[in-house]
Amino acid sequence: MNALDLRSVSKSFGGKRVLDDMSFSVPEHCVFGFVGTNGAGKTTTMKMILGLLKADCGEIDVYGERVSFGATKTNRLIGYLPDVPEFYGYMRPKQYLGLCAEIAGLDEKSAQPRIAELLDLVGLSDANRKIGGFSRGMKQRLGVAQALIGDPKLLICDEPTSALDPVGRKEILDILRKIKAKTTVVFSTHILSDVERICDRVAVLNKGKIVLESAMGDLKLQEKSTSFTFEFNREIATDEILRVLRENNLEPIKYETAEHTIESLFLGVAK
Amino acid sequence: MRQFLAFSKKEFHESAATFRLYILLGLFVMFGMMSPLLAKLTPEIIKSLGDTGMMISVHEPTSLDAWAQFFHNVGQMGMLVLIIVFCGTMSNELSKGTLVNLLTKGMKRHTVIASKMFASSVLWTFAYLLCFGAGFAYTAYFWDIGELPHALLAFAAPWLFGELLLATHVFGGTLFGNIYGSLLSCIGAVILMNLLSILPGASKYNPVTLSGGTLPLLSGAGKPSDFIPAVLICAAAVVLLTAGSIVMFNRKKM
Repeated sequence: MNALDLRSVSKSFGGKRVLDDMSFSVPEHCVFGFVGTNGAGKTTTMKMILGLLKADCGEIDVYGERVSFGATKTNRLIGYLPDVPEFYGYMRPKQYLGLCAEIAGLDEKSAQPRIAELLDLVGLSDANRKIGGFSRGMKQRLGVAQALIGDPKLLICDEPTSALDPVGRKEILDILRKIKAKTTVVFSTHILSDVERICDRVAVLNKGKIVLESAMGDLKLQEKSTSFTFEFNREIATDEILRVLRENNLEPIKYETAEHTIESLFLGVAK
Repeated sequence: MRQFLAFSKKEFHESAATFRLYILLGLFVMFGMMSPLLAKLTPEIIKSLGDTGMMISVHEPTSLDAWAQFFHNVGQMGMLVLIIVFCGTMSNELSKGTLVNLLTKGMKRHTVIASKMFASSVLWTFAYLLCFGAGFAYTAYFWDIGELPHALLAFAAPWLFGELLLATHVFGGTLFGNIYGSLLSCIGAVILMNLLSILPGASKYNPVTLSGGTLPLLSGAGKPSDFIPAVLICAAAVVLLTAGSIVMFNRKKM
């Protein structure tokens, strides 16, 4: 069963058509990258899936159940992380997650261990100060925790890494990768390296339509190329690689040994 | 019901954490205490102004003067405080987007409005009761309270008008989604009601009469039927504004 199906969904704001007869599906247990430029309609799509915005036409199903505008019942299956999650600044993380747990219908007995588990997952177990004093990255991680409180089958994240530094981005992507086994993840982004890092499937939204939808593996294999980049999990001598290529009648006309990227250096010193 | 209780609990927590609760209670206790004190001290203050050559006749103050001062304080300063303290109730949630996390967890939209009205009403009721208690205690200390005809109607009237202001805040906040919209709705409603009270015979039906205008009931100069239409209209307006807020919020894009 698909976690999410959108069929011929359109949406206009004023006279401007933001989504035009858009369709795509998200299979269960995958990380789905929803890619598009700023203003492409990613947030609009997500808000319609959550029943926060009304589609002009088309159908949206979450695990086979139709989404309706307003108080949609399908939200019990969904966890949502907005692009900039807003909290009550005077609360502490445990208090906030306690409120979320009560709203989501968790009984008190199961809520406390769930809150502790989630705070541990997002690395906020020791952060017992008021949320108002949290950094952007901490808020984003708390956002993931609140989205997961009801143990949702589908997690929708709206540009969860866009405003974060490389350390924060890596932390969020690691969390999303960890929960993949239990939860289907849809996340929108315009950072293509994030998609490459964790996504199984990707859809590209352009001018209100899905212009490309594919499994990441297929996408990479779809086209022949004259240029490749490989990364190995151990140090290898350049000669060894060249020898393997020549044995297979492949003669590179150019090769480069990768320098440390700025990002890997940053991650190394910022630990 | 669980969501209603959880969200109401959050509202009370917020009131304490943002000092709204303490400001409200502190000011209303002060208004309650000030009323008999001012009534008692006014003649002394006027006398202390000394020999200005003017003849000012000041009668000995009575408990009725204390209640006149009470209605004056609550009806003007009190309502202004209420408008300012509660102006962010709904509008802040919408302008900051703090409801999105909760609504996407299945929180019913009508529960948000109901909780907001409930929590605001409880705080306002508590503040008004303390105000009345302080006023009553000091008045009883200085004077014989005597008989208070139609006391329930006279003293419940400002409370009901306060409820109307709270409902207007929730309505305006939901409609405009920002604090200015909420404030303008409330202030606009008060100005409109005051303008309408200029019309002859309108005060009987005008809710603003309830905001400090019920002293004649205690003095015996007025009768309940002079105020009942305004009470009914005010109560109906509270219900309609709350229902309107729910309908509007159900349709609101987030």
